[in-house]
Amino acid sequence: MTHLTARRRALLGAIGSGTITLTGGCLRQARSLTGWESSQQVRLRIKTVPDDADPYALTLARTVADWFRAAGIDTSITPMSEQELHRQTLLRNEFDLFLMRLPPRFTDPDALYTLLHSRFAEDPGWQNPFGYANLDVDDHLETQRRTNGSQRRDALRQLQLTAARTQPFTLLTVPDDVRAVRTTNYSNWRASSLDSSLGYLSLERSDDVDSETGGTLRVAITDRRATTNLNPLSVEFRRTGTLTGLVYDPLGYVFQDRLMPWLAETWEFSDDRSSTAQVTIRKGATWHDGKALTADDVAFTYRLLSDTTLGSDSDEETAPLPSPRYRGRSSLVANVNPIGDRTVEFQFADVTPSVARRAFTVPILPEHIWKERTDVASIAGIQTGSVTEALVTNNIPPVGSGPLRFVRNTPREEVVFERFDDHVLHQVDSPINDLVDQAGDAAFDTLSIQVVGSDVTAAEMVANDTADVTGTPVGADVIPRIGRRSESELLVQRSSSAYVLGYNTRNQHLNNPRFRHTLARLIDGEYIADAIVDGYGRPAVGPLWDTEWYPSELQWEERNPIANFLGSEGEIDVARARAAFREAGYRYEDGKLVGGRT
Amino acid sequence: MTLLHVVLQVVVVVALLHIIGLYTFVPVRDVRSLLSDAQTNARDVAPTALLFGIVLLANGFIRDAGVELSWLIGVNITGRIHALEGQFVATLQSYATPELTALFSFAYIFGYVFILTFPVVLYVFHDTKPLLTTLVAYSLNYAIGLGSYVLFVAYGPRNYMPELVESLLYTSWPQAQLLTSQVNVNTNVFPSLHASLAVTVALIAYRFRGRYGQWHSVAIVLATLIAVSTMYLGIHWLTDVIGGVVLAVLSVSIATRIVDGNRNRTAIRPRIRRRLRQL
Repeated sequence: MTHLTARRRALLGAIGSGTITLTGGCLRQARSLTGWESSQQVRLRIKTVPDDADPYALTLARTVADWFRAAGIDTSITPMSEQELHRQTLLRNEFDLFLMRLPPRFTDPDALYTLLHSRFAEDPGWQNPFGYANLDVDDHLETQRRTNGSQRRDALRQLQLTAARTQPFTLLTVPDDVRAVRTTNYSNWRASSLDSSLGYLSLERSDDVDSETGGTLRVAITDRRATTNLNPLSVEFRRTGTLTGLVYDPLGYVFQDRLMPWLAETWEFSDDRSSTAQVTIRKGATWHDGKALTADDVAFTYRLLSDTTLGSDSDEETAPLPSPRYRGRSSLVANVNPIGDRTVEFQFADVTPSVARRAFTVPILPEHIWKERTDVASIAGIQTGSVTEALVTNNIPPVGSGPLRFVRNTPREEVVFERFDDHVLHQVDSPINDLVDQAGDAAFDTLSIQVVGSDVTAAEMVANDTADVTGTPVGADVIPRIGRRSESELLVQRSSSAYVLGYNTRNQHLNNPRFRHTLARLIDGEYIADAIVDGYGRPAVGPLWDTEWYPSELQWEERNPIANFLGSEGEIDVARARAAFREAGYRYEDGKLVGGRT
Repeated sequence: MTLLHVVLQVVVVVALLHIIGLYTFVPVRDVRSLLSDAQTNARDVAPTALLFGIVLLANGFIRDAGVELSWLIGVNITGRIHALEGQFVATLQSYATPELTALFSFAYIFGYVFILTFPVVLYVFHDTKPLLTTLVAYSLNYAIGLGSYVLFVAYGPRNYMPELVESLLYTSWPQAQLLTSQVNVNTNVFPSLHASLAVTVALIAYRFRGRYGQWHSVAIVLATLIAVSTMYLGIHWLTDVIGGVVLAVLSVSIATRIVDGNRNRTAIRPRIRRRLRQL
């Protein structure tokens, strides 16, 4: 934009100064000159969260920006709150690059379907926020849904190899989640990851819980969003959904790499290939407000997720408005019908049962509350376009059926839950499995989530016995602080949520896969793992790195096997970087990377 | 160590500083006449104090709404501030020692609360004019500062270049964040209200120097310490501090004009009326 006005100004200036006479030949030349756009230095802007909100994101952004600058790219960083970052990137697509953590659910291969399939490029939320479109990838994504065994494995292999070459996003590092915990009141911290609800439900109470805290589990977090919004469908307010996962029950949880019944008692897939299943929910399930949870609620939930208007405006040709969250899982389901009070029949889309069962992990919502939220949302009576109340309500107080019931919230400070004594898994005759055995009963009476300003303060609260655990992970620089105090213990857990640099492939330069591939080669995963996360993390190429679906070609062996770093030890080799960009069709002018018609 | 502990600590220390300050800067007089002076002065400035109280209350209410509004209409200038001044704050922090950190942390929390509250107490025993000027200038600082926070979204250096700038206050005294997060939002850095309010006090003290012993010297030194501390601790940019100083000069000059204007008007009005009648 700016160069255009600059050029126009230069032209006008030339005309105005009278140095040229306006002959026909001259005008012709001016006209043909305007066909040749002058090119400008490549400019990229990285959006991420500030240091208070995340221990590594901003340092990573600055390191990446330094590498990009070394290659002659004009790079800037804009920090913003996590909520704002989600709004600008996931909802409005206003970004060049974003740097944040990929939600943990993307370690399931089928989750990549909505992340990378081109048909989701226009959808809000974590549905292909990159605007990435690759027809081969689309085919592989569809094949892996429909096939089993070696066929599926091969589709996923091809998919990952193509994605690694074309780089819709670059995986920067997979950090370990480091937390400070107090082991005096609760134990069994290592049983399950604390970025899932099961981590909290697996805790065990120590015999000598001190009387002062009286059965309260105190969690210090740096993320204040949960104190103002507990809507499981909100795009901007949810990170991992751990808290809403404690309030709402899914039909099943993935536990020790297997999907196990939770709210469901059993599920049975039909033997023929018709892709249907019958799910029976446990006896005696109730909502926190005392109403019974029935098959109707289950069926309603899936209808709501696939269209939050519930087709209420179906007199017109209005498009359905699915919930951006759980979009991948709701897209597995074609139809859900209640059969009696406790049994539901699922008809799946054209997917294999092993993929289809992932649909059972969405939270079940109460029909009597959410059916009122299907209208188009409005501010002070003015309708604000295509979003329903269900997607933007703050949902406080939430009414779920889960092991914890909401008590109170103080915006930006605290949110408190209590154990729900009538939870379905507390019924004496409820069938038990390993999952229920470990996580079926909360070990605490009250859960208090307290917001603090930064990870240092959170760790200090654990040391001072004003908190039991840092709910959000802390940075490696806080570790010496935790080790210093005997009362607090260091908890290091392998995380499934990687830091990624997402590219907006709708934008100039970034729409070019070769350009993105070359950008990825400016990033030194080894250096990040060693120097930024201080060894508490590991480099990887794709989000499935820790699963059986990860192809051997992508295994990291001291360097990125696909996008090899153009330098060494965290230092860019400028000559090599320039050669790589020249090969991609770019030029250098005064050390600045220049290219494309802008 | 909870929030309450931190607040108590601040209250006790600042109260001690007040006692020392009053003992030093208020000439020894009959206690009764001092108190009666204070009473009349307080009554005289009551409307202005009320105004200031309203601004403060509004500040409390609007701050949260302001943050929301700020994300909607504000301009994120963090990158631009960094482009403007570069790594000045990082350079400043390279001189850090534990002693300096303790000194500046003290100035940032205790010194700041003291420098804001003490002039009000000091002037109430003496004269309404500096008191009025102070209250009006405070109100202006808050009002303009708050408007600026809505228009500009910016994070401080500790949030923007964490590998170079440490959050020295919070790493050396983590509990302090329990207090500061109650009154501050980390996107509200331009301009620095710490710098502007402290400099406001120093400017007013200098203007009315001579009547309160060496108070103006103490105020100037303390204001300088506070302004530097905001950068040393990684909380504010140099740009914010300069913005704060400009805001202080602006607020004090407007406040002076308003207060002096009011005084003159009462003297001028009868004269004008007389003129008008003659005409």
